[in-house]
Amino acid sequence: MVDVKKKAAELLSSEAVKVIIGYTEGTGGKPRAAFIQNVADVEKLIFNSQCVMNLAVYLTKAEIKKLGKPAIVAPVNVLRAIIQLAFEVQIQESDIVVLGITPDEKLVEFQSFAAIESYLEDFKMELDAKEKETLAKISGMSLEERWAYWTEELSECFKCYACRAACPMCYCHKCAVEQNKPQWIPVAAHQLGNMEWHIMRAMHLAGRCVNCDACHNACPKGINLNFLTKLMLADAQEQLGYTGPTLKEGNLLSTYNPNDQENFIK
Amino acid sequence: MSRIGVFVCHCGENISSTVDVEKVAQTAAGFDGVAYSVDYKYMCSDPGQSLIKQAIKDHNLTGVVVSACSPRMHEPTFRKACAEAGLNGYMCEMTNLREHCSWVHERTEETTEKAIDLVRMLVEKVKNDKPLEPIKVPIFKTALVIGGGIAGIQTSLDIANCGHKVILVEKEPSIGGHMSQLSETFPTLDCSQCILTPRMVEVAQHPNITLYTYSELESLEGYIGNFKAKIRKKAKSVDHSVCTGCGDCWTKCPSKKIPSEFNAGLDNRTAIYVPFPQAVPNKPVIDKDHCTYYQKGKCRLCEKNCKPGAIHFDLEDEIIEVEVGGIVVTTGFDVKGTDFFPEYGYGKYKDVITGLQFERLASASGPTLGEIKRPSDGKVPEKIVFIACAGSRDPAKGIDYCSKICCMYTAKHAMLYQHKVHTGKSYVFYMDIRAGGKNYEEFVRRAIEEDKVNYVRGRVSTVYEKNGKLIVKGADTLMNGQPVEIEADMVVLATAGVANCGSEELAQKLHVSYDRYKFFAEAHPKLKPVETNTAGIFLAGACQAPKDIPETVGMASGAAAKVAALFSQDELKREPLIAVVNRQMPPTFSSCVGCFLCETACPYRAIEREEIKDRAGNVIKTIAKVNDGLCQGCGTCVAFCRTKSIDIQGFTNEQMYSEVMALLND
Repeated sequence: MVDVKKKAAELLSSEAVKVIIGYTEGTGGKPRAAFIQNVADVEKLIFNSQCVMNLAVYLTKAEIKKLGKPAIVAPVNVLRAIIQLAFEVQIQESDIVVLGITPDEKLVEFQSFAAIESYLEDFKMELDAKEKETLAKISGMSLEERWAYWTEELSECFKCYACRAACPMCYCHKCAVEQNKPQWIPVAAHQLGNMEWHIMRAMHLAGRCVNCDACHNACPKGINLNFLTKLMLADAQEQLGYTGPTLKEGNLLSTYNPNDQENFIK
Repeated sequence: MSRIGVFVCHCGENISSTVDVEKVAQTAAGFDGVAYSVDYKYMCSDPGQSLIKQAIKDHNLTGVVVSACSPRMHEPTFRKACAEAGLNGYMCEMTNLREHCSWVHERTEETTEKAIDLVRMLVEKVKNDKPLEPIKVPIFKTALVIGGGIAGIQTSLDIANCGHKVILVEKEPSIGGHMSQLSETFPTLDCSQCILTPRMVEVAQHPNITLYTYSELESLEGYIGNFKAKIRKKAKSVDHSVCTGCGDCWTKCPSKKIPSEFNAGLDNRTAIYVPFPQAVPNKPVIDKDHCTYYQKGKCRLCEKNCKPGAIHFDLEDEIIEVEVGGIVVTTGFDVKGTDFFPEYGYGKYKDVITGLQFERLASASGPTLGEIKRPSDGKVPEKIVFIACAGSRDPAKGIDYCSKICCMYTAKHAMLYQHKVHTGKSYVFYMDIRAGGKNYEEFVRRAIEEDKVNYVRGRVSTVYEKNGKLIVKGADTLMNGQPVEIEADMVVLATAGVANCGSEELAQKLHVSYDRYKFFAEAHPKLKPVETNTAGIFLAGACQAPKDIPETVGMASGAAAKVAALFSQDELKREPLIAVVNRQMPPTFSSCVGCFLCETACPYRAIEREEIKDRAGNVIKTIAKVNDGLCQGCGTCVAFCRTKSIDIQGFTNEQMYSEVMALLND
């Protein structure tokens, strides 16, 4: 952490950046996001295993952009989001400074997005055994059981949209759920409204989700909504050999490769 | 408030035999916003259309629903009728009561109920219709022709003679293509060069044709009427505006051992060369790969001997950009190599040659000045064997298809040989004789009957050399498969015609499709043989499939007619049923966030980027923009857009939603 703080102080004092986006102590022992604009505050930066929120979400927020050029403390989850955001033309290389951080708090500096991309090659986006087990359980259900499972799981949702706010990929200025001419997705938090919202959210993340679990971590009800996107990620890995975001290979859903499996066509 | 007219058609009995059309019309009359509803025997007939026009006027209709057949057939009819009555044509929609209802169901209550539902949906959709105007796209009236063989020459001359500008691009140093290599042509035996070279000169001199030889297409952007092509003019190392074509350079060039492409490798050329004496332009280029100076840094003999000082070794490739409205691809074919038929001994025995090499032997401008002499020792062959289908119609070793021209040119070769070597004997091994075409069968019969060419129906198994003779072993299937062995002096292989080696790459540059043999694909095998699937790009000649000269010339003129028809208009009118990115009030400007995933999804490359700027010119936002010349209205981008920022005009989200709700709320 020492070298991260040192670099952050350097960047601020040389005015190379105007703000450091990082983690700091929050209330109740939980870390929160910090937006450090003074060199003196650099000491407040922390990093530990509890720092799970995806800071990349702030890179596209107008309020943060107003502060000036940022440097961002970036563990692997954030790096993945940066690459996906860059592919989607939401951030430019010259707009940000990326302070990569390893789990043991070492600084990794990147000169370009391409360097991030090659760094990520060592961190293939894969589901762990526990996730796979849960997915197998859900996939193993009959259609009726699965419908009942998700209806029950999502019944807790009261549409606070914390999942949307926490997701680095949900940067639209006007979310489809707020489009009311016509209003395809009901606003109310009833069964239909919840189901449609969560299915839509998952579909909009197909091939884009960086599997950071920020949505689940942000959910006040602890709903396993991240398993909707994980299910799709598992499909993308199995069917299309998807290993995570890249700068060039194109969008997973819209790019056709002659080697793509087509066994989903029945 | 909408005032919709509903017009239910009986379609004779096609609809009325299973659907209670009167009940449909009566029920529709009660729908909210429907001002008039009627049924009629034939709505597309003149009285039927008049009924619609009259109702528009009498009832002041704001929208029309015609409940009849498939819109594919009659939507333009009814839209035109509405327009004539003063209602915007796009305020008229059709619901398909025939294919979607009466033809697929029995006469029951439910069938009529379904018909009523279909009308109900369309009424709701038409309420959300907006008047649309056709999109007008200007046409840049210059044609680009890629390939300067006979197809490219013919198509260029035809377009140019219609008064339009043509840019003809040829990758070789001269135009003329394969036809310039041929000796005589079937079925008339007139000299190929004698009929071709005047055309080549005409191309060079035509005021409407700009000729770029030694040039290739670098890239292509744009769409019908408005293409932007980049052309790479390869460095010739010779300034053609100064060069007089005197020939001092190539007579002095010390690199004289380069196999001549024009003579199919039967003799050699120099590094600075004109491919053949009748070349257009008749000025040399330097083949850098074989030039001593370019390879070793020393020589420059040609430069020293060039009196006008035309040679410049430092010339570089030049890339020019041209704007064109239509493109004709005439890149021709290649002759398949013979390496997959090692048993025929090509490459191993000098006197086993290809059909194209025989053309050069028989040609008066060829290396033997038209005398048939074998390459090994220059002797006149006494016995010659022609092997047809050396590669064609052979799924196991060669290609599946018939190369089409080989039967005829083999007959011609045998005939030419017999005409030139009266004492000689010629044999043709063949599978079938395919001589479909005007005077073609007669031509083959003439070879067999008058010129005494021996046709043997059967395949050749092997060719090998023994005591200075080529032993051709085969079977005569008309004699019960009896083995045949001929001691020949020369063997000619009718190798297959295949797609040009760069055709796949070119197809990708042009965004046209190609078949599994890498020939360019026509839009419809029967009704659109010269069109490609990309509007404004046409095909002619053997780049589409192997074909002979008459067919190529016919196709070239056909493609020229298509270009001329395109250029006969000042602007193209296109259906306005295309995608549009929404624009909203500031500070949003558009709900589009500029993720450009639509760009990756669009199969027509119709998505562009548009910058929204403030007064000072600062970019506020970059959003997607649909190029209305390219968009085909497929809707893939609409399905892809997360923020629902794109709509298809005439099929907007609101229209679709109201259709669905009409059903659900019923």
